[in-house]
Amino acid sequence: MKKNFVWYGVFFAIAIIYPHFVDPSWVDIGTTFALYSVVALSQDIVLGKAGMFDMGHATFFGIGAYTAAILNTTYNIPIMYTIPIAIALSALFGIIISWPIIHLRGDYLLVATIGFNIIFYQALQNNVFGLTGGPNGIFGIGTPVIFGINIASQKAIYYFAWFILLITMLIIYNIDKSKLGRAFHYLRESEVAAESFGVNKRFYKVLAFALGAGLASLAGVIFAVQYAAVSPQTFNFTQSVLFFTIVIVGGPSSIPGILLGTFVMFVVPQFFREFATARYFVFGIAMILTMILRPQGICPARFGKLPKYIFKES
Amino acid sequence: MEIFLQQIVNGLAIGSIYALVAIGYTMVYGVMKLINFAHGDLVALAAYVGLTVLMQAFGMHITNLWAIILMFVITALFISLCGVVLERLAYRPLRKAPRLSAVVSALGASLAIENGIMLIWGPNIKVFPSNVFPNMRWHISGVVINSTQIAILLLSVILMLALYIFINKTKIGTAIRATAIDQDAAKLMGINVNGIIIAIFALGSFLGSIGGLFIGIYYRELYFQMGWIYGLNAFIAAIIGGIGNIPGAMLGGMLLGIFNVLIAGYVSNSWSEALTFVLLIIILIIKPTGILGERVAEKV
Repeated sequence: MKKNFVWYGVFFAIAIIYPHFVDPSWVDIGTTFALYSVVALSQDIVLGKAGMFDMGHATFFGIGAYTAAILNTTYNIPIMYTIPIAIALSALFGIIISWPIIHLRGDYLLVATIGFNIIFYQALQNNVFGLTGGPNGIFGIGTPVIFGINIASQKAIYYFAWFILLITMLIIYNIDKSKLGRAFHYLRESEVAAESFGVNKRFYKVLAFALGAGLASLAGVIFAVQYAAVSPQTFNFTQSVLFFTIVIVGGPSSIPGILLGTFVMFVVPQFFREFATARYFVFGIAMILTMILRPQGICPARFGKLPKYIFKES
Repeated sequence: MEIFLQQIVNGLAIGSIYALVAIGYTMVYGVMKLINFAHGDLVALAAYVGLTVLMQAFGMHITNLWAIILMFVITALFISLCGVVLERLAYRPLRKAPRLSAVVSALGASLAIENGIMLIWGPNIKVFPSNVFPNMRWHISGVVINSTQIAILLLSVILMLALYIFINKTKIGTAIRATAIDQDAAKLMGINVNGIIIAIFALGSFLGSIGGLFIGIYYRELYFQMGWIYGLNAFIAAIIGGIGNIPGAMLGGMLLGIFNVLIAGYVSNSWSEALTFVLLIIILIIKPTGILGERVAEKV
C-alpha cells in the first residue's frame, strides 16, 4: 500500500511541473486528461465497481457542462455556485434515468444507456426550451473565482482540473475501503449472493448511478470552463464509447488502470495527429490487440485472495 | 389515408433492410452473447464493395442484369469472408475473456473497418447509380410503389424465409439452435461449436451484405460512418423483436422501419433517432426481453 502512495506522489509531482515544460496546446491536453480521468473514474463506479454496463456516461458529463454554461451565461450565476447545482442536478438525473431500467440485464442496460445518450444529444441539437443553443452550443462561459482568486489563465485551470482529479481519486479510494465499495463489489460478483446477504440491490445500483453521474458532472463544469464553450458534439455517444473503452482497456475498478487507460486512449492519439487519416484505423486494431493480450485490462485491479484451502477440494 | 399507406410502403422497404441487418446481430448474440458492433460497418463495407464491383461490371459490356447479379454474388461472398475473418481475429481469442473485453474488441474492429473504408474510398460521399433496378412505378389507388421497393421487399422475404427454413429444418440449423441454447452440451452432442460460430458469422454477414447493397441502391448516398447509424437501428430492431430470436429480428425490423417513417412523416425528422430510443426504452421497461423473446430464468 505504501508503495502505491509513492507512485501517486511521483505521478502528481510530474503533473505539477509538467505545464512549465510544454507548449500551451499540451497544457490543454493535460487539463483534458485530468477531466477525462475524472469522468472515467466516475464511469468506473457504475461499470467497474457495480458491474452495470453503462455506455452513456457522456450524458452526465454533458449535463454538468451545460448546467454550468446555461446558469452562467443566461442567469449570470458565478461558476463556483453552479458546481453544486450541476452535481445535484446530474445525480438527480442519474437516479431518474436509472430507476426504471436498473433491473435490465447486462447488454439491455448497455443499449438503454446508449439510448439516453442519444436522446440527450438530440435534445441539445434541437435547442430544447431555447436554452442549449442548438448545434453551435453556448459560448462565453466565465471563469471560477475562489477566495477572490480568478482562475482564468490556462495554467490555473490546469491545476484546478488536477485538484479535482486528486479529490476524485480520494473519493474513489474511500468508496473502495467502505461498506459502499464492498456492496458494489459484491453486486458485481453475484447479485443473488449479495441480496441474500442483505444488500439492497436496487438502492445500491441506483446509488452507483447517482454517484457516477454527480462526479462526471463535476468534470463537465470544469470542461466547460476550460474551453469557455460547450457544444453537443463533445457529449455525443462516441464520447461515451471512449469513456467505456478507457475503463475496460485500463482495467475496471483499478485507479492506476483507469489513469493509464485515459493516457492510452486519449493522450497517445494526440501524438499521432499528423497521421490524422490513418490513426483511427491503427487505433481500432490496437484496441483489439490490447484486449487479446490483456483481456482483464492493461493494469487490472487486484483484490484480496481467498486462502488456498478453499480451492483444495476441487 | 393515402399518405399513411404510402408511408407504410416506404416503411416496409426500409424495415426489410433493417431486418436483414438485424438478423446478423441476433444470430451472433444468440450463440455468443456478444454485441457485434462491427456488423454495421461490415454492412457499410458491403455497400462500398458493391458500388466498386458494379462500376467495374458496367465497364465490361455485359447486360445490366448480369452486372447486378455479379455485384450481389461477389459482394455477398466477400463480406461473408470478412465476417469469418473478423470472428477469427477479433472474437475467437476472447471467447474465454470477460464479456466486456470482447465488446471493446468489437468496438475496435468497428473503428478499424470504418476508417479502413475511409482510407480506401476517401472521406467524401459516394453515390450509387440510379438505374440499378429498372425505373418503374406503379400507382395503386394513390399509393406509389417503385421497382426498387418491390425488389427489396421480395428479395428480403425470400432470403428470410430461406433462413427460417434453414434454421428450423436442416441439420446445421438444428446444430445452430442447439449451440445457442448451451454450448457445452452442444459440444458433448458432437457438434463442432467453432464450425457453427463460423457458420453464423458467414450467414449473418451474408444477409448483412445484402442489406448493405439495398441501402446503397435505395438511399444511393454512401459515407464511411454510415455503418453506425444503420447498425444501431438494426440492433434496436433486433432487441425490439427479442434478441437471439430470428423471427423476432424480422418483426422488429419491419416495425422499426414503419415507426421511423411515421415519425419522419408526422412528427419531426430532427427527433427521429431520439424517439426511436424512447420506443426502445419503453419496450424494454414493459417487456425486457423484447416482443418475441422468452424470459430466461436465472440459474443460481
